[in-house]
Amino acid sequence: MADTIDAYSIQNWLESCPQSYLENTEYGHAAGEKEPDFFLQNEVLLEETIKATVQLVVGERCALSASSGLINAAPDEASRRFLATQTLDEARHVEVFTQRLYDLGVRKKDLEGTIQRYANPNLVKFAEVLLEKIDRKDFISGVVGQNIVLEGMAFSVFEMMYAMNESVNPKFAHTLSGTIADERRHVGFGENRIGSLIREHPEKRGEVEQMQKEMSYFMLATFADAFRNNRTVDELEAAGIERPHSQYQGVDLGVMAPEDMEQVLADTVLKEFKTRLGRIGIEYQTPTRP
Amino acid sequence: MVDPLESSDDDPVQRRRFLLEDTGFDEVPARYRRFYRKWRGAGDQLAPNEAICPVCKVVIRSSRELWPGDRLYCMPCMSRLVVVEATDGRLEAHVSY
Repeated sequence: MADTIDAYSIQNWLESCPQSYLENTEYGHAAGEKEPDFFLQNEVLLEETIKATVQLVVGERCALSASSGLINAAPDEASRRFLATQTLDEARHVEVFTQRLYDLGVRKKDLEGTIQRYANPNLVKFAEVLLEKIDRKDFISGVVGQNIVLEGMAFSVFEMMYAMNESVNPKFAHTLSGTIADERRHVGFGENRIGSLIREHPEKRGEVEQMQKEMSYFMLATFADAFRNNRTVDELEAAGIERPHSQYQGVDLGVMAPEDMEQVLADTVLKEFKTRLGRIGIEYQTPTRP
Repeated sequence: MVDPLESSDDDPVQRRRFLLEDTGFDEVPARYRRFYRKWRGAGDQLAPNEAICPVCKVVIRSSRELWPGDRLYCMPCMSRLVVVEATDGRLEAHVSY
């Protein structure tokens, strides 16, 4: 079986990603798949879908800046090569979610304006906390912030979105499926690389824990805005469209109020943070609930 | 060697053998795919030759029964794991850094 250096190689990435689950895809989904008509034709559902997709673009733009910035801060060649593949993964995510905005009717000339209009300020602050570490070429904080906190959040958010879309929007579910596969490698690198580095640099623990607490607060605030100000459930009910009975973390999302879904997602992500950070020797810091 | 079971301290002939079929998992190169499957959530159960990766939540499958002390490799997230017996007697995989 491959050793760590081989696992982080470009060859491994080529065989696992473009030559596997991305083979024959077009912007992450099968050619010809389209967004469902009822989302495109309903003004409220369309706006909510665009708003949610903007958050994905903002998050992935942050991940692209972070992973590319970490390349030159990495202390070894294998990590640099892995981060080069991650940079391409993140650039692909930015591209596929941006393409989704176009598929939803956003015109290219309106892209940046749409992102500015809908980008959640708390998600922007979340990104700023991380990118400040990257600017200082702080590899340990940067990898924990990027590959454990940001990617750990994305992993759970994408899993939830996948469950909600699998039966009603196969096109978007397929796009999410490919990004989830990418996230597996990213969180794996984060834990495996930092697990050993943090033991060599115990003096970094306090700073990393403070960063995790700050990022977690802004993440929870983003979730609160996204679920509490979301009109999708009410609009589906008004339009007489039954919500899919999607299973996520053992609950039926199809019968839950948005506030309850927010709670399930927040609890899932925070529990994962606690477990992952504990494994690498960092004490999870409970954030303030917004 | 393509099986994720990398090493064990005991005699492999005493273990039950399992014939692995493709489960549709496509996140690793083709020759490794039968050794992994997606966790199907509540209601899913692990077979005696399976362990769930705590890092990426993929189910790792060996062609041999897993025993405590076995070392596993999870190719989708590149983690090295050790099989341990939990207090309730179930087998769990722990990350080895």
